[in-house]
Amino acid sequence: MTVTVTPEEFRFVHFDAAQTARIADDVARLTGIDRPVQVEIDETTPLSRVRIDLGDTIVLHVESGAFEDTKRPRHQSETATAASLARCLLKARDRLEGGFGEAPTDDDLTLQQAAAWDTYCAGRMARLGLTVNQQRFRYNFRNRFGFTDQVDTRFERVWAADALTWGELQSLTSGESMVVDAP
Amino acid sequence: MRKFFPVEELARDQRFEQITMRQAQADPRTVLNAESRNKTNRLTPDRADASDRARGLMHGIFVGEIQALEGAGRTCWDFETGTEAPFALKLDMARQAWDEARHVEISVKLSDWMGTEIGQFAENTVLFEAACSNDPVLRLAGVNRALEGLAIDVFTTMKEFGDLAGDPFLEFCEDWMLADEVTHVKMGSDWLRRITENDAERRKKALEFQQVVDKLFSFGGTRSDSKESPIGLARRFRELAGFTDTEVEDIAEMSLKALEERKAFAAAALAGDTTADPA
Repeated sequence: MTVTVTPEEFRFVHFDAAQTARIADDVARLTGIDRPVQVEIDETTPLSRVRIDLGDTIVLHVESGAFEDTKRPRHQSETATAASLARCLLKARDRLEGGFGEAPTDDDLTLQQAAAWDTYCAGRMARLGLTVNQQRFRYNFRNRFGFTDQVDTRFERVWAADALTWGELQSLTSGESMVVDAP
Repeated sequence: MRKFFPVEELARDQRFEQITMRQAQADPRTVLNAESRNKTNRLTPDRADASDRARGLMHGIFVGEIQALEGAGRTCWDFETGTEAPFALKLDMARQAWDEARHVEISVKLSDWMGTEIGQFAENTVLFEAACSNDPVLRLAGVNRALEGLAIDVFTTMKEFGDLAGDPFLEFCEDWMLADEVTHVKMGSDWLRRITENDAERRKKALEFQQVVDKLFSFGGTRSDSKESPIGLARRFRELAGFTDTEVEDIAEMSLKALEERKAFAAAALAGDTTADPA
């Protein structure tokens, strides 16, 4: 598996392409990605959106804020870089492995759908040993679904889940049904 | 104990990273391709990045409360009772320090609730810098009217955010802190009038200083009536706190000017002005 990062030199932020490639390589192995990964960083914006293009190569279009150290503006954070990459690569894996065929494109995801999928990814990231603040994702989930005990219960189920299909993820977050834990 | 404490020596542990206003404003990315982004930067729950932006603003409130506590506390200590500052003024500042300490604790709990760690975001030290004047009247203008005035705008924005998102804790806590801030601004307005009652020149100087600080606190347009600014100007609460209509209009105009100046400053940094580089 190969990882490429562009640009190689940065003008507006203090990022390191080689370090980014190393982190991306580690995260790709950790998340079970078996095809080349290309990371394209847009250093002209402080926003933190990431767009994923799936093909023979997984291309991640990353806005620089996604890799930024919030303590030191314009500097790179290894933790944030790993977390952002892992979240995207898990989503890529979900789409590539099947079961997420009916999921809307990233641009068409509703805020609720995006929050649910982020939660599903973050729970798996935590179990993979990556640094994840669960409360941050709980707060986002509550902002999208409501500040109630029922919503918190759904969050816990999504967080703890593995190998869901898109339909199962939707059922879990809507509260229509619950996935039965394996004995 | 030492008087007139410099901003560089504020007591912080290793969790905190401090930056200056100049560093905060010199980020060229804020002006690049700006036309292709959202037309509004106002913090509302319907933004895709709403939760993270709210967390960032909450941390800004947290460090702002620490600096406000330090500012009010210094005013109690830095000036001689009677000759430099009336005892009743110091008593008000002590009461304010008590309020700010409570706000710090509330902000820590809200940050925890939102999934933010202490020191997770850079601390801009501009608020305390406004509290370093060696004239108590200028300090009142800078801290109580400008800084606490900004707090009114920020808390109003956060309260509305909590209300729209249905977050009962955020909405409730911001509402209560907002009520305190209105009181603090009112105290500043009242004391400014009383102390300078027979000294027009000193009052003029204090109000000019407040204008300078207000412009600084517009954070290069972070707070203004424009939708490009994340934080709006809370006109009604400012009125309740003793600002005249003219004063509110002046702040609104100044904030918009600060927004344009920040864009020009970041553009200069982009063009290669290395003095604007925070590295």
